[in-house]
Amino acid sequence: MSNLKGKIAFVGIGEIPTGRYPEAGAISYAIESAKMAIRDAGINKEDIDYVLPTAALFSPAFNTELVTCRVVEELGLKNVKRNAQIFAGGSSSTCALEIAASLINSGGASTVLFVHADKLGTGVSLQGGIDLFSTAGISSEWEVPYGQHYSAIAALATNRYKYETGTTDEELASICVSNRKWAELNPNAFFRKPLTIEEVMASKMLSTPLRAKMSNMLFDGGAAFIVTSAERARDITDRPVYLLGEGGTVTHFVYSQEPDVSRFGWAKAGKMAFEMAGITPREIDVAEIYDSYPIYQLIGFEELGFAERGQGGKMFINGDTWPGGKIPCTTNGGMLSQGHTGAGGAVALMVETVRQLMGKAGDRQVKNARFALETATGGTYMDAQVTILGTEIP
Amino acid sequence: MDKPKKPSPVVNPWVKPFWEAAREGRLVYQRCRSCGTNIFYPRIACISCFSDDLEWVQSSGKGTVYSYTVVESNCPSAFVDDMPYVIAIVKLQEKGVQMLSNIVGCDPVDVRCDMPVEVVFEKLNDDITLPKFRPVALK
Ligand SMILES: [Zn+2]
Repeated sequence: MSNLKGKIAFVGIGEIPTGRYPEAGAISYAIESAKMAIRDAGINKEDIDYVLPTAALFSPAFNTELVTCRVVEELGLKNVKRNAQIFAGGSSSTCALEIAASLINSGGASTVLFVHADKLGTGVSLQGGIDLFSTAGISSEWEVPYGQHYSAIAALATNRYKYETGTTDEELASICVSNRKWAELNPNAFFRKPLTIEEVMASKMLSTPLRAKMSNMLFDGGAAFIVTSAERARDITDRPVYLLGEGGTVTHFVYSQEPDVSRFGWAKAGKMAFEMAGITPREIDVAEIYDSYPIYQLIGFEELGFAERGQGGKMFINGDTWPGGKIPCTTNGGMLSQGHTGAGGAVALMVETVRQLMGKAGDRQVKNARFALETATGGTYMDAQVTILGTEIP
Repeated sequence: MDKPKKPSPVVNPWVKPFWEAAREGRLVYQRCRSCGTNIFYPRIACISCFSDDLEWVQSSGKGTVYSYTVVESNCPSAFVDDMPYVIAIVKLQEKGVQMLSNIVGCDPVDVRCDMPVEVVFEKLNDDITLPKFRPVALK
């Protein structure tokens, strides 16, 4: 088990509203987010000695700029020892956090800035986006020739899960509704108008039983966070957000080789994270579960112990996961309502987890949030990554 | 805009026997001569013991639909004319052998999880014939 429990903490977060910015270059999303995170932490920018930009998908040229230290130069950082890209698709933020934590705990780094920026809303055409996501991470040997793409991948999980549990399409639609209720309270979310189960069920069928309003949409966005040692964090802020637990497991590359598309690796990753944190799902105040499609949020929610298998859908319908509910879930609105920004989907979720624990979530603040769980997965749901954060060390 | 051509699978050298067999109407997988593990998709070495002493074995071509979906809109450009089409994960009778494919030869609305299917072959181009699956006729 990792010995990082309580050793490092988040001290600053930044995020621009998810949206469409045809005029602005993607570098501005990175710089704005990083500046916000530095100001939020209240640190001197020269304290940052490591910068970990994750990848942007819309442009290889822009991504090369991220790799070749543009963020460091644009921010005028003078004490950066290394700038290195950490990229694991949707799992990038979790992977970067664990790497940053290990570096800090070993003395290899002091204060680490992680930053994401991508322009998938206005930097690629709609069909270009569909075509990008029909190939990115999908096996060109074994799946692309059969017309595989991300909606179909989510639909394959949904149909098997429905077959094994009897969960209904309305229950799945209610996950989109639950996320929207949170997004209504989130100024950084793109979709903020109320949504009903009927509207979800009336939207265009993509790949059965997955409908258009059960699908994420791509936008421009950027976000950043800063982590440092727990000791330094206590000097910087009176509300550090500690890393308490982490667990992960990689289950496949080729989607059709996944042994269980109705469960994936969440139970194993969750057990690791909870054991390390020394708490149980009952003590979690906020569950920031990765969505991108409702099926993944539902499977994660159940496999991590917030509901019995097959019973989670009822909790999304009856309001348990909504604002004021007993287990607030995906409180930024998730990729379904805040919007999908590539690797940024889970960056936004991690930033939201920290925001809730810092008590800075405004109208959607979960009262007295002490412990929160966050999940991430990349590619074709190739892995299960679980992070537990808290304002105290149990 | 010209409609893009159907994507042809990338073929690595060690996978060639799989596609040669498919052209001849046989579905094959690998088996490790050292430890007996069934292997699909084709690998350079055994996924269990790393042995490179692998043999090609013919599959029964029979299996079941593990999961499926009917693609009705927003598919990759090259597949627009095929809609609605069925994507499925098929588990073959041979232990550990499962693959993505299309279900053909039936109305897409009739496909179900755990439905028995058998392999058929559809020519994609001069080099590639794709294994696909159709429902097993009820006796
Ligand atoms: Zn072997």
